[in-house]
Amino acid sequence: MRPNAPIGSNAWLGVLVFLGAEAMFFAGLIGAYLVFRLGSPMWPPPFQPRLPIDLTGMNTMILLASAVTMRLGLRAVRLENYKKMIRLVAVTAVLGSIFLIIQGYEWFRLIHFGLTVSSSVYGGLFYTLIGFHGLHVAGALIWLVVVFVMAEKGRFSKKRHVGLQTCALYWTFVVALWPVLYGLVYLY
Amino acid sequence: MTQKILFAFVGLWTAVLYSPSVIHACSVCLTGDRDATTDAFNWSVIFLMSTPYLVVSSIAGLLFYSYRRSAAQQETESASEPGVTKEFIG
Repeated sequence: MRPNAPIGSNAWLGVLVFLGAEAMFFAGLIGAYLVFRLGSPMWPPPFQPRLPIDLTGMNTMILLASAVTMRLGLRAVRLENYKKMIRLVAVTAVLGSIFLIIQGYEWFRLIHFGLTVSSSVYGGLFYTLIGFHGLHVAGALIWLVVVFVMAEKGRFSKKRHVGLQTCALYWTFVVALWPVLYGLVYLY
Repeated sequence: MTQKILFAFVGLWTAVLYSPSVIHACSVCLTGDRDATTDAFNWSVIFLMSTPYLVVSSIAGLLFYSYRRSAAQQETESASEPGVTKEFIG
């Protein structure tokens, strides 16, 4: 059966195209990282601090959990369970905040150990890649707070929840990107 | 005469462009085989070349999935509508 109604709103489609551009932006950064990483005989370069793999691994789990709560929130609004939706959006925002706080703490320690943007190519690449991702998480978190306030005011229903849907799409992208960056920058 | 000068100029310029040792235009042409920098550039090029295909196919996949879900949802809704049967929908 062919659906008569459009499969998604214009806003949803717009965010989808925007995410395509975002993906290409990060692809450019990853491409630059690969050139330096693979072209270097020793990585990380000598006399550079090692990255906290365990702490960031735990942080990765927190961020992945936030994607699950976000998707469950979206499902809750489709099932007209609005209280559950509000609760799940709040949990997602809290998990995202924890991720950013841990990242901030990690950066504080790395700067203390001498890894800065200008200290080496290693530092420059690390802060550019991870910093831009952190900036995206922060932006998504602001969006999430706006969505939470709107949800509290009862702006979303089963039929009308474009704000939540687009925010969930963006959040999923930001979360899905992180394991790739973690694997590339921290583990590889 | 002007045509001959122009032809000679273009020919000379092309010859210069084909000599990597003169213009250093290609970042990986001057390194040897099995060079780490060359490999790094090549892997990066392959990655950047494949990413647009991955991005576009992901968007297409999501649109297809949404289309299928929307169709299934509409079918469920029309089937559950009181007094409307499949025969009437045609």
